[in-house]
Amino acid sequence: MNGMHFKVGLFALASLLLGAAFLVYLLHARGFFEDTFHLQLAAASADNVAPGVPVVFSGIEIGRVTTLGLNDNGGIVIHAEFMQRNARWLKENSSFTLDKPIVGGARIRVDSSDLDAPALPNHATMLLLSSDISKEIPVLVERVKAILANVEHLTRKDGEIVSTLANVQTMTGRMTGEYGVLEGVLGSPEKARAVTETLDKTRSLMTRLDGLALKMDGMAGKADQWLFAKDGVADSARASLRQIGVLLDDARSSLQKADALMANAVAISADVKEGTQDIAALRAEIDDAVRRANALVNEINKMWPFARDPEVKLP
Amino acid sequence: MNALAASIESLGAKLVGWFTVGYGIFAFLARALLLLIEPATWNRATFDVVIKQVYFTAVQILHVFLGYALVISWLIISIIVTTARDFGLAEFASEMTIRVLVLELLPFLTALFIALRSGSAINTEVALMQVNNELDALAHCKVPPMQFEFLPRLIGGVISVITLAGLAGLLALAMGYLAIHGAGTAGFDSYTRTIANIFDFTIVAGLLAKCALFGLAVTLIPVTAGLETPKKLFMVPVSVLRGMMRVFFAIFAIEVVSLALKYI
Repeated sequence: MNGMHFKVGLFALASLLLGAAFLVYLLHARGFFEDTFHLQLAAASADNVAPGVPVVFSGIEIGRVTTLGLNDNGGIVIHAEFMQRNARWLKENSSFTLDKPIVGGARIRVDSSDLDAPALPNHATMLLLSSDISKEIPVLVERVKAILANVEHLTRKDGEIVSTLANVQTMTGRMTGEYGVLEGVLGSPEKARAVTETLDKTRSLMTRLDGLALKMDGMAGKADQWLFAKDGVADSARASLRQIGVLLDDARSSLQKADALMANAVAISADVKEGTQDIAALRAEIDDAVRRANALVNEINKMWPFARDPEVKLP
Repeated sequence: MNALAASIESLGAKLVGWFTVGYGIFAFLARALLLLIEPATWNRATFDVVIKQVYFTAVQILHVFLGYALVISWLIISIIVTTARDFGLAEFASEMTIRVLVLELLPFLTALFIALRSGSAINTEVALMQVNNELDALAHCKVPPMQFEFLPRLIGGVISVITLAGLAGLLALAMGYLAIHGAGTAGFDSYTRTIANIFDFTIVAGLLAKCALFGLAVTLIPVTAGLETPKKLFMVPVSVLRGMMRVFFAIFAIEVVSLALKYI
């Protein structure tokens, strides 16, 4: 009997201890031993927000909406409560966004970009933004409706697209005619025929031009022969050049003679002072000889086919 | 026309019978509660019987019960976690596990377990005592059966169901943590958050009340069924059969009502 009492006592003690431990754990988990942090959120609309909606930071729930109501100015005020240990994620530059996924319940997302920013004071009021996908759907539907209306307008019975398609049909119909695509583009078989005839004429013209070009080719060959063959124009030009070289040598010897004459004249002028008149006549003679030699050189230059003077360049 | 009248009559008889049974049960409960608040009830003898009752109902079967709770919890947690992962709902697995097992299934199974083991025994015992006139003899010897036979059984039943369901629930919580987060403290914070979200005051109070009602049902109904037994030995099995059917319906009704209160 004592053994039975001991077992029952042990059972009761263990159960009580476990129960008490669980109770303490539960109270700790529910934040019974710490202060509650209060936050107020100002929102444009209370849609989808209800008591119990979680406030999440990085996907982890840190608080819940407790009440919501209207303030004196008719604005929505949402009260949320956080455990003190979770309140450190709420910063002065945190943004609060209401997320309403298509599947699942709404939640308020906290984004604290700068965790070094000063912490939010208790009972602070922040703005609640909304990123409601389901709200965008009606807008989207309106736009799709407008697009569909446009498409409908375009494809109506007497619409542009229908008449365009009719035109395309007549065009493709013509394309199946005798003159194919040409008839389709030009509109009638007569015009198409005119174009074909023109093309035929052009073709014969091209044949003739071809023959002409062949003839021209032959002529060019002959000209080549005439110019560069033995005893051709090039050879005779070379001979003329040789003769010109001889002429130049003559001119140079004449000038040397004139030079000697001048030297003699100087000597004579030293001896005979009264013979000045004769020297002047002699000088005129020499000048004349030099001028003629110059003219000769000029003449040669004009005849020279490879002269560097740009004025005598051949065309 | 006669058949219709007969069926209506039998329906009326059944209704009256159910009402009588229900009235008997609640009248008995009222008497037991009245006795409970009397200071004279709380003497050493009553206390000893309560301890004996707790020993037979809870302590004696503890290892069997905990093994059974372990297996069923492990199976159901595995099913929930695997299915939740397959459907991409792993974040809801722990909440689902706790709600299904700790709040609903384990208290229900505990009540069934105790009903089958202790409830049937109580029903048989009381029926035999009734048939053998032992209860009258006890009353004649100034040992009121209500104080020394019935009330300890009710108290023992309530204590047993609450503690066993609580222990099974704690076991399931630990198993759930192991199944979802594995051995290690990494998931402790998120698991704590889930538990904190689920177990608010009304849920805990509702769970305790439900377990207490289960404990009452699995002892009170067999006792009253046993007391109803006519003084013929062959009526004892019939009495046990009726009592156990009523226990089952009562447990079922308590579970349904608790679910309705919680989720509707």
